[in-house]
Parts: sequence; structure tokens; C-alpha cells
Amino acid sequence: MFFQVLFHALISSNTWETALTFAALLVLPALGGVISERSGVVNIAMEGMMLTGCFASVMITLLFYNLGVNNSLCVILGVLAAILAGGVMALIHAVVSINFKANQIVSGVAINIFALGLTSYLLFVLTPAGQGVPSLPASLLLPTPSWGPLSKIPWLGTVLFQQNIIFYIAILILIGVQFLLFRTNIGLRIRAVGEHPQAADTAGVNVRLLRYLCVISSGLLSGLAGAYLAIGVAGLFNTNMTDGRGYIALAAVIFGKYTPLGAAVACLIFGLGYGLSLPLQDLSSNPNLSYLLQTLPYVLVLISLVGIVGRTTPPAADGIPYEPGTE
Amino acid sequence: MAVPVKQTEAPEQRPPASRLGSLARKYGSALGPPVFAVILAMIAGAVVIIITRPDKTVDPFTNVIHAYSALFTGSYGSLSSISDTLVRVSPLIFASISVAIAFRAGLFNIGAAGQLAVGAMAADMVGLTFTSWPSWVLIPTMLLASILAGAIWGGIAGFLKAFRGAHEVVTTIMLNWIAFFGTDYLINSPPFAAPFGTTQTIALPPNATLPPIAGVYNQIFGNGQPLLNTFTYKVDVSIFFALIALVIYWFIISRTTFGYEIRVIGQNPKAAKYAGIPTRRNIFLVMAIAGGFAGLAGSTNLMGQPGYNLTATAFSALPTGFDAIAVALLGQTTAIGILLASLLIGGLRSGSTAMQSLAHVDPNLVLIIEALVLFFIAATFLPVLRRALPAWLRPRFRPTLQTTVVARTSVDLPGNGNGDAQSGMEISDLEKEE
Repeated sequence: MFFQVLFHALISSNTWETALTFAALLVLPALGGVISERSGVVNIAMEGMMLTGCFASVMITLLFYNLGVNNSLCVILGVLAAILAGGVMALIHAVVSINFKANQIVSGVAINIFALGLTSYLLFVLTPAGQGVPSLPASLLLPTPSWGPLSKIPWLGTVLFQQNIIFYIAILILIGVQFLLFRTNIGLRIRAVGEHPQAADTAGVNVRLLRYLCVISSGLLSGLAGAYLAIGVAGLFNTNMTDGRGYIALAAVIFGKYTPLGAAVACLIFGLGYGLSLPLQDLSSNPNLSYLLQTLPYVLVLISLVGIVGRTTPPAADGIPYEPGTE
Repeated sequence: MAVPVKQTEAPEQRPPASRLGSLARKYGSALGPPVFAVILAMIAGAVVIIITRPDKTVDPFTNVIHAYSALFTGSYGSLSSISDTLVRVSPLIFASISVAIAFRAGLFNIGAAGQLAVGAMAADMVGLTFTSWPSWVLIPTMLLASILAGAIWGGIAGFLKAFRGAHEVVTTIMLNWIAFFGTDYLINSPPFAAPFGTTQTIALPPNATLPPIAGVYNQIFGNGQPLLNTFTYKVDVSIFFALIALVIYWFIISRTTFGYEIRVIGQNPKAAKYAGIPTRRNIFLVMAIAGGFAGLAGSTNLMGQPGYNLTATAFSALPTGFDAIAVALLGQTTAIGILLASLLIGGLRSGSTAMQSLAHVDPNLVLIIEALVLFFIAATFLPVLRRALPAWLRPRFRPTLQTTVVARTSVDLPGNGNGDAQSGMEISDLEKEE
């Protein structure tokens, strides 16, 4: 009985569609995390950057919509605002942890608290009577591109060709980041800065600049994911709407052994866990089984850290502020 | 050819002007950075109010004054508001001890939130299972269960750090979410779930709850006459437990061999290793103890406050675990510092509702202030600022006296600068030797 339902859930196109949507949502901040950690700056603030992105996308989209701007332009401006907002949060993290050499974990925790406080506060201030924003109409959501006959393919069509536009952008970014990190000069430099900044500095690499760029790009990607969540999937903004997704992305970074493709596979596994949790809920006499299934990403990460499935080691200089002239 | 020997000047040794002066210098250098960080954050909060103008009926500056006076009235303005603040302060103290004791060993316990959740759940499960036990057996058992559950949760992270080299920040974040969803599952499941799908547990029986201080006061001084209203003065006896815990924390850190050993590990892991201190065992132990303290934060809050039940999905939204990081840093991980800082942060939290009702400022402003406090504490930009000041504005004191631990001007954080490099090396060094 159980395995029958599980099997049906596993081959169902709905499960995989949900899984891929969820995975795409996670992979963007996870890629940001990979870039940032590879350059030697610990980033546990993807949650906050994503939340800021959610907020900015909804508010800017609505702002321009109320000004009477064309719908699709509103959405584009919303996405750009989200990317920018994530980038600004990341810039704070960069300044505090690279220039002021703050503890990067404290800074990350502070960013998460700051993002939660700022978005909730501004939501109250900026909306009439502080009651929050309404749900966005469908015309103000990120579009689902039409693939013509491809979307009619029985199983594959639903799973792959009826996704939101950000899904395809996320795949492109994934390939791009993997290529950037492992096939280009800049990628080599980023990895060198994360492993041994002194050596990289000697070889003429601008350590601070590179770390700045990497941290900021993690914010840009997290912001984009925020836009995807807010004006792509949910269509509204709620206080703390990211609800720990930034932390799952962090889990994916580590589970994926700090590589883009690894993180993407991790996101897919977590997404599949999420996709399966819905049909499996109906199965048990206890409908709360989904709570246990939601612990899956975190349990997997712990197991990966224990070293049963190969050991995960962070970049050598991860989390250590660079002091020129040491060593 | 004679090499010119450079005469090294002896460091200037100024005798303290007076006993009072040296005391002032000692505590001034310890109090300076946190107080400065809080003042800066409050100013930044005022700027946020001035820019956003939440109350359009008054001018921005009046709005700031209204907001901050409401913040004070709501937290320490009256006996009942003090009581409400202490309700928040008590779990905050426990959780902050948890974060602080790990800091002392050079470990970063982000997992107080999860340890708190499993502690509360364990106490709740014991309380709901052995309902017939008398109070004097049941309450200690529940407290012990919460300590044990928290210790296991923290101990897992400690074990993984000590024996597998897994970074405790990562493992504690993962354990947090496992705890949140795991407790959600238990709260919603029989036999603990309240009927009718309320996503809450059944309330604890009266013999499993901690009495409010007002109730105890009435018992002693009024022969059971209601001198104080327990609904107005909600604070329960767990605040005394928290104070005892602070004394225990102080004792562990400064009066025991174990405390000495973890401080050495925190400040110089290599020295600890060469001194023969069992680093791994102590890392595991300190995380377990940290978890135990955080577990008490969960159980005392559950057993002390009306409702006496747990709500699903509440733990992940509970700010105590992250507030505790701010408190531990603000209090510079000393017992007295934790007390003062948790009175401050707890006060901010509890005054924020009054800020909304009296000054129409959204309570989330205190989150912004708290985050800024964290930034200002974490960033070592105070020296940068000091250097930027013109000479005649610079503070005059020189921290030449480094004789006491209290006089430390900064908290040694794990992962900050060379400290982490050493601790990272230390684990890998140990691996190589085996």
C-alpha cells in the first residue's frame, strides 16, 4: 500500500513539477552561497536577502502598477528592484565582514534579523493603515513562457515546459556559475582567494575586490529568488514569507560540497522531498507526517557532515577576514 | 662593525591615580563598546522613525520622543510592565548563557532556538505523561528532562565538531530546523495534541506548573488573600531560576577547572592542546552544557506562563534564540553583562507593543535596532572611528591595565580573524596525528 502510493507519487508529473519549482527557488540563493563561500566569506544571510527581494519586488511592482505603468514593465521593474535590494543587503554584509573584519556569522545573523525587521516595518509604514499588501492580480505575476508543442508532450511537458520564466533563467545561471567557477580565469581566482588569500594576493589578485563582487552577487541571486517566490509563485508579500528557505539553500550549499552542480542536485533532492510530502500526507492516518518529511534536507546535511557519504569540507580560508601582510 | 642596537622603550606604566580611578577604568573599558553600540543603534532607530514618519499627526522629532518614551513605559514604566518584561527576560537569560558558554570555548551556538524547542517539548511530554505525580517530583523531573533533551541536541553538534570536524554553525542551524519540524510533528500528534485540531498541546496540569511570584507572595504575606493580582503581575518564579543559572554560569567559568580549560580552548586552542587539555571531550561537553541551559529556557517558559501549552510552528518564529546571540555579545559573555543585556533586549521586546499602541510605531523597529546593535558590536569599527576622530575629540583613557578578565574590551569570537584559523588547524592537526 505505502510503496504503491509512493510509486504513484514518484511517477506523477505533479510531484516533479512541484519539485522542480521548489528546486529552482532554492538553487538561486544556493548558487549565491556557493560563490560567496568559495571566495572565503561565510554567508548565512541568504534568508534575509531573499526576504528583502520578496518585499522589494512586490512593493515596486505595485508602486508602478498604481502609477499606471504597463503591466509587464511593472514586473520587470519589480524583478530588478528585488535583485537590487538583495544586492544592497549583501553589500552591507560585505562592508561589515570585509572592511570592518566583523565576525561573518554575527553579521549574517544580524542581516537576517535586519531584513525581517525592515521589511515588516516598511510594510506597516508604506501600506495604508498598515494592513499589508493585497494579493497581486495574475497579470502582475512573472509569466510562464509558451513552448508551443513542447508543452504538449505527455509527462515531460508538464514537468519541464510549463514552468515559470525564472525557472529557465535559474538553469542558465546554474550552467553559467559552474562554467565561471571551474572553467574561467576569474573562477580560478575566486577559488584561490577562498583557499589561500595570501598566495592569491601575491599572484596579483585583488582579494578584497573579488570578495566584494562574490558577496554582492550572492545577494543579487538571492534577491532574484525572492522575486520568484513573491511575484512568481506566491503572488503576495507576507511577513517572514521566506520561512527558512534561505537556510535550506545554505543546507544545499554544504550538501552539494560547495559546488554549483552539487548544490543544484541537493536542491533537486530537497525539492523532491517537498513534492512527495504532499501526496504522502494523505496516506498516513496522521496527517502531520509532512512535518517529519520537511526535516529531510537538514537530516541529509547532518549525515553528509558526519562523513558517511563522503566528507564535506569548506574552503580553507572560509570565514577568515583577509589581513594583508600576515604570514 | 657594530650593529646599532635599537633601544626599546619600556612601555609607559602610569600608576592608577586612585583606586576609584582604576575601577572606573576597568569597568569603563568593559562597558564602553556595548553602551556605545546601543546608543548608536538607538540613534539609527530614531533616524528610521524620522525618515518614515509613522505618525503623521505629530512632527518627526516628537514622534521619536513618543516612541522611545512609550518603549520605556511599556518595559519598565510600571510594576506590571516590569513584570511583563521579566517574563521575557527569564528565558532570554537561559538562552544567552547557552550562547555565551559556547563563545567562551570559541564555539558559536546558533542552535539555542532548537535546543530550547526540544527542551520545552521534552518537559511537556513528561508533564503530560506523568500527570498524577506530585509537584515536588514532577517539576524537577520536567526540568531535568528539558536539560537532558537540550543537552542531547547541543551535544550532537558538539560531537560532530569534536570528532568529525563539522562546523558547529552549520550543524546547529540544521539541528534547529529538525527541532522545529520535529516538535511541530509531536505537538500535532496524539497523545499530546489538544482535540479539535487546534495545533496546540493539551495544557499542563496545575501540579506541573511553576507558580507566579505574585501567587507565592500572596501565599506568604496574605494567608492566601489576593494581595497581588496574578493576571496583572504575570512573572513566575523562573526568573529566580535564571538568576541562579547566572551564578552557576559564573561559577563554572571562573571557579572550576573545566571553565578554565574551555577558556583556554577558546582563546588559544593550540596552547590548550600542548597543555594537555582534552580538547575534544571539552568541546563536546561545553556544547552539551550549552544545550542544557537552552533547554531550560524552553521548559521554564512553558511551565511558568498561562496557557501552559505549546503551539505548532511557534518555535521557528520565536526570537529568543537569536536575541540570545545579541545578549551574549552585548554582555561580553560575562554573567553580569548577560543580566544587564537581557534586561535591555527583553525590555525592547516587551516595550515594543506599547510603542505601537501609544506612538503608532511598528514594533518591528526593535528588530532593526537589535540588528544594528549586532552590527556595531561585531564590526571592529570602533577603533576605525576612533582613529578618524580629530585628536582633541579622542577618548583619553588608555587601556594599559590588562590585569583582569573583566577589562576585556572585545569578545573573542570564533571565526573572527586568526582565532578560527587556529581552531580549524587544531582539529585538522588532531586528525593528522591519529
